[in-house]
Amino acid sequence: MNSMVVLPLVLPLFGAFLLPIIMRASVGVGLWVGPAILLYGCWILGNQWISGTAMPFSLAIGGFAPPMGINLYVDSLALLFALAVQLLGLIFWPFKLDPETARRQALMLLLVAASTGLALSGDLFNLYVFYELVAVATFGLISASSTGSAYAATIRYLILSGIGSVLTLLGIALIYSQTGTLNLAHLAQLAPEQLNNKLGLTAFLSILIGVGVKAELFPVNTWVPEVYATAASRVSAFLAGLVSKLALLIILRLLVLIFHQQEAIQVMLFLGILGVVSGELAAWRAKDMRRMLAFSSIGQLGMIFIALSIPDQAGLLAVLALSFHHLLVKSGLFMLADGWGGAIENLRGAAKRSPLAAIVFILFSLSLIGMPPLPGFWAKFTLITELAAQTSPLYLIGLAVFLLATVIEAAYLFRLAALLYRPVSEEKPIDTIPKPAGVSLVSASLFGVGLLAAALFITPVGELLNHVAGQAANAELYIDTVLAGTGGGR
Amino acid sequence: MRNLTGLLFAGGLGFMLLSIASGLDFGAPPMLVGEAIQSVAPQETGATNIVTSVVLGYRGIDTLGELSILFAAAAAAGLVLGRRHTTAGTLTEGGFVLRYGGAMLFPLLMTIGFYIIFHGHLTPGGGFQGGVILAAAFFLPLLARPGARLHHGMLSMIEGFAGSSFILIGLVALAEGEAFLQPMLIQDTLGQLVSAGTLPLLYLAVGLKVGAELAGLLSHLAQTESEA
Amino acid sequence: MTPTIDLELILYITALGLISIGLAGVVLSQHLFRMVLALVIAEAGANLMLVLAGYRWDAVAPILTSLGEHPQMVDPVPQAMVLTAIVIGVGIQALAVSILIRIRQRFGTLDRHEVAAHMDAEIAQIAGTSRDMSQESPLGERPLPPLPGTPAASREGRS
Repeated sequence: MNSMVVLPLVLPLFGAFLLPIIMRASVGVGLWVGPAILLYGCWILGNQWISGTAMPFSLAIGGFAPPMGINLYVDSLALLFALAVQLLGLIFWPFKLDPETARRQALMLLLVAASTGLALSGDLFNLYVFYELVAVATFGLISASSTGSAYAATIRYLILSGIGSVLTLLGIALIYSQTGTLNLAHLAQLAPEQLNNKLGLTAFLSILIGVGVKAELFPVNTWVPEVYATAASRVSAFLAGLVSKLALLIILRLLVLIFHQQEAIQVMLFLGILGVVSGELAAWRAKDMRRMLAFSSIGQLGMIFIALSIPDQAGLLAVLALSFHHLLVKSGLFMLADGWGGAIENLRGAAKRSPLAAIVFILFSLSLIGMPPLPGFWAKFTLITELAAQTSPLYLIGLAVFLLATVIEAAYLFRLAALLYRPVSEEKPIDTIPKPAGVSLVSASLFGVGLLAAALFITPVGELLNHVAGQAANAELYIDTVLAGTGGGR
Repeated sequence: MRNLTGLLFAGGLGFMLLSIASGLDFGAPPMLVGEAIQSVAPQETGATNIVTSVVLGYRGIDTLGELSILFAAAAAAGLVLGRRHTTAGTLTEGGFVLRYGGAMLFPLLMTIGFYIIFHGHLTPGGGFQGGVILAAAFFLPLLARPGARLHHGMLSMIEGFAGSSFILIGLVALAEGEAFLQPMLIQDTLGQLVSAGTLPLLYLAVGLKVGAELAGLLSHLAQTESEA
Repeated sequence: MTPTIDLELILYITALGLISIGLAGVVLSQHLFRMVLALVIAEAGANLMLVLAGYRWDAVAPILTSLGEHPQMVDPVPQAMVLTAIVIGVGIQALAVSILIRIRQRFGTLDRHEVAAHMDAEIAQIAGTSRDMSQESPLGERPLPPLPGTPAASREGRS
């Protein structure tokens, strides 16, 4: 049963390779291939989650024991993310029918497969390969909107992500030249002796910047606003909601398992603070909805980076809470932006045109700034208590920035919310006010329902996340699970 | 201002790299995994070329990911460039030498390409190298006769079936109760042409896929250029 | 470390030099195609670094030539990884070039700042806002060449 976990990773690739051929033969059949594969993936992973026997476990691909071969590491955290990938792939499925449907759907399947790989893989170089696959698939999906600005945004993203991949490769080469292995568990074993030096720190920083491109880390996030402004809303939602979190997951694994240097953590805290400040201020100034969401997402991810720099289970819990909260909220907001994209000014009185969308928007806003009954409050509160418990002055600066950012967030979100309920001006007919289309509104409301459910069941959800964080924070468990029976390979 | 940022960046980078260079210890790098693989690879995979057993066996899923990246790049380039088949005769036809040289090289390149693919488990070479040569074989006539066009339907058939057969071979192993992509059918004929079980089949799939992918990409670019 | 400059040190410095030349080129050049080329250079440096990570001077290529005792061989793993990394790089470069072709067709330029200005103008036009400044756009209101109507339609109709 455990060996089936490889299928959600492989079947989308299989489908993607064959999709152009199937589409050529019969469009009717081809349209069902992708959703069927993703549904099957959800079913397998869901089954695994429910049966949940003997978690975590490690799955050697090709039957080669881990330090030599590549393994998938399946713990609750990885499984949760993999499940989220398949589900969101289904929700954001590009069903639009035109001559390029086959290519777009194939790219989406590749993106889902690569994201699943990012969640599950336990090998540094394998992570790099899937990371690049995510990058290439998203380049294709962004430029699929085929405006000049989409191409220009894509090339900017491509160049930045190229810099990132060079730095990541450099980091991998440094690590390999020091340790002679790439398996994360094996590295975790060797790290205290061989990577606990200046070279190890440089390697970590290279990888941090490299992977940070997708995680919207401060200096390498200049691609974010243009890409989210030009790409289709579904693609933006998938990128902001999920792909950024998967990049974070890589950094989290590296931090927990391999790099424990104080400097590494401080650099991350510092970059996170800068990200929060720059993102939130830019969001406050933004004049169109998508850009505002993009900048706000930079700010939110900065907060997660601040949380990531608290190196224990409680910090990890804050990371997870913020991540999943941001995943729900930002995906939903981008789905609303599907109809409400464009200038904020145009949204005056939009609540009258579609009251449900306005209510959902306000729900998301309230949760985003941390209104008490909603999960956002709980996520932020976890982080605040953790930050306040730290003694180092940089953490206190982080706390101050965090609180300030919440105020700014409230300012720009409520400005928009107030605009939604402003009376419509006389000369403007109500039909010209933009309105989210049916499907996007339904998916946005789905995320809203999810948010409300999380608010209702906040205690079990919190316990679950705490359990997941505990499992993820346990480096010994990881090493034992992966290297059990191979004598550690030393 | 912008130059200043650039210079600062370059300076910081140089400093970082210098610190790396001074910290590297020049000696025999530790070969933990490498040595372990070297000692068991011939028995476990049956290939004398150990790089091949790493590429297709120990790190087989990397190779699958890499094929997917090529496929994604080709699909994305196809999305970007569109499927237009306007071959304006703006480019001049190649001369006699070019045209007939291209035609004569075609079978040679095909032979060499397949030779390299089929001997990937024995000698240096393999699916990627052979696949690139196959792509060159198809691209050469295109350079000589700008009006000629590759059959895109055929190419996408090849790339689809080659890629999916790579996965199918892996899935068969899974269905047999082994792990995904586990090498099977390993004969006791180390060093022969027919050895290394499924690895040559995997390399054939890789070679065909890489060849079709690159040929498709190049002809897409060539067509768009003549159109612009 | 020996005081004499040996071949290994030169190779390491070459690899790091290629990376820094490439990255500096990306940051400093004003032309998008040159940025992509600079990226290719940096990638070559990173690949060289990866090969060096497993190289041994007193060893042969990792291919068995006889069934008996074999001499010491270099680490096969980085070689396999470099093979992967090179192919990934080729795919991304091809995609980058095809996107550059389209940008050039739409905007008529590949200068980094002009493309950024065009992009901002087009985003603002689609969104219906006054222009939001991105970090890349030139300071001050520079008159922009008019956008060709709805570019997508006019281009698509041409062929």
